Amino acid sequence: MATLALKNITKRFGDFTAVKDFNLTVEDGEMIALLGGSGCGKTTTLRMIAGFTEPTEGSIFVAGKEMGKIPPYKRNVGIFFQNYALFPHMTVFENVAFGLKLQKLPKAEIEQRVSEILNLVKLYGLEKRYPRELSGGQQQRVALARALVTRPSILLLDEPLSNLDAKLRVEMQVEIKRIQKELAITTIIVTHDHEEAVSLADRVIVMNAGQILQVGSPYEIFDKPNSEFIADFMGFSTFVKGTMGGEARDGKRPVTCSGKTILVSAEAAEGIEPGSSVTLATRSEHMELVKEAGENVVEGTMQAATYKGHTTRLEVAGCFDEVIYPAADEYIELEAGKPLLVHLPVDRLCVYKNNA
Amino acid sequence: MRDGHVNLLCKIVAILVMIFLVAPLLIIIVVSFTPTAVITFPPQGFSLRWYANIFTGTGKFMSGLVNSLKVGVLATAIDVFVGVFGALSICRYNFKGKNVLLNYFTSPMYVPSIAFAFVLLQVYSQIGGITGMTRVFIGHLIIILPYIVRNTVSVLHVFNWTLEDAAASLGANPIQVFFKVTIPLAKPGIVSGGILAFLYSFDEVALSSLLSSPRFVTLPIRIMNYMELTFDPTLAAISTLLILASLIIIVLMDKFVGLDMFMK
Repeated sequence: MATLALKNITKRFGDFTAVKDFNLTVEDGEMIALLGGSGCGKTTTLRMIAGFTEPTEGSIFVAGKEMGKIPPYKRNVGIFFQNYALFPHMTVFENVAFGLKLQKLPKAEIEQRVSEILNLVKLYGLEKRYPRELSGGQQQRVALARALVTRPSILLLDEPLSNLDAKLRVEMQVEIKRIQKELAITTIIVTHDHEEAVSLADRVIVMNAGQILQVGSPYEIFDKPNSEFIADFMGFSTFVKGTMGGEARDGKRPVTCSGKTILVSAEAAEGIEPGSSVTLATRSEHMELVKEAGENVVEGTMQAATYKGHTTRLEVAGCFDEVIYPAADEYIELEAGKPLLVHLPVDRLCVYKNNA
Repeated sequence: MRDGHVNLLCKIVAILVMIFLVAPLLIIIVVSFTPTAVITFPPQGFSLRWYANIFTGTGKFMSGLVNSLKVGVLATAIDVFVGVFGALSICRYNFKGKNVLLNYFTSPMYVPSIAFAFVLLQVYSQIGGITGMTRVFIGHLIIILPYIVRNTVSVLHVFNWTLEDAAASLGANPIQVFFKVTIPLAKPGIVSGGILAFLYSFDEVALSSLLSSPRFVTLPIRIMNYMELTFDPTLAAISTLLILASLIIIVLMDKFVGLDMFMK
């Protein structure tokens, strides 16, 4: 358990800059998610914290102590690897006990701590199995137990839920969060999956091209991304271009999109000058189909309908130059060309100023 | 049924192949127990006299066996060391000429051993004063190395290097990582390579026949020399013992390494 600080970290591989002037402070017991697409530098950052690779510039501090050239095996950083990296020639017990045996602890203590941690991850009774005899979810929990049993000061999780099926993902999300809170261990998760990031972390850091784009609570990142790029990455489906209108009235400001006036909250449009070119963004599930015309209701025609189980995702054209993608709660049959009224809720629209 | 016919045909071919492979061995084993001085099949009676002849006869098989074991064991031991480190450095690091180096390590496999022996002979005669054992030993040391490198590389090629990072993150220093993770996981390749290399050295004829001196003769050369002079069932007896030894090696290997490890 410890604080973690990264100060002005830069990592270059030849001409390529993987991480650029990265600054981050993680509180004791906090769970942080580094979120970004492949090649954004998140895994490189993780490997630098673990000590597998050295930063080109800058320093890493664990509990106030500079890591410098301290090798990985002296850092006391627990890592959960994406492919689990369980030792195939060792049983579950041997895998979990590996770190403790290296610490030369007495046999009785090793056995006690292994059985404690296996209880915690609900794997008791599987000690004698080999990794290949376990299911994916069980292997994952062995990997987690192995990373935790040495009581590391920092826990690093690399895509912890990526290889699991939907049901197991939810289960493991709950498990990881529970165990992390129980042990109050400072944790960094690296992931490309925004759901994984927002469901696990206390704070989410969105990265791209080796730089931090936004830092915020899961709610802020999920609902109020601060750029069109992040909105797209966070699963916003509908993007409409327009021109910012004038003064706020009742906390709302108009935006002209394809000749139609759409109201947005003054808060979302703060600091954007009238006449600027902007993009409005929203999620499918925030738009609704309505029966009557009204404020922020636009008319279009159905182009496609994809049934997704609990929602039907529609493609509606004709409202704007861009196609919009509202989702309905019920099953809707595809009727191409059918006219529809779509409501865009004022407080669910994000506004981004376009660069000239 | 068409499939039935195909199946039957496959079975017949398989059985014929197996007979073809095993029958000569069986005949040798049966013949080795014959009491007569001429090889006849089926044997007229039962006797162990040809087995006794291995140890007491003129063939000097036992000294040949000792020489073969000396060269084989020593060369294999040194080559396991050299080959494993060679294979590790080829697989672990990315560098230019990686494949060139691998091919260099395995090149003795592609050079006819008789040509190689000829070259070695020239070198030895330039230097002079090298004993028969050293001459054969150095030759074997070089020609069996590819088997160890190739087999180890084939295991390391699919090796999950993240396992080494995992071990390091759990507190294992590089030496502990090597002995607790890398070596145990590369073991199937190392052991099978080592056994292949040893067996190759053990029945190598072409190179040994050119390089050995009258005072240092390996078992296959002894057998060959014996065959040229006398053709009696002693040869069948010694062949039977060699077959038995091979079987024992395979059984031991299965017990200690597990043959199933080669199938994963």
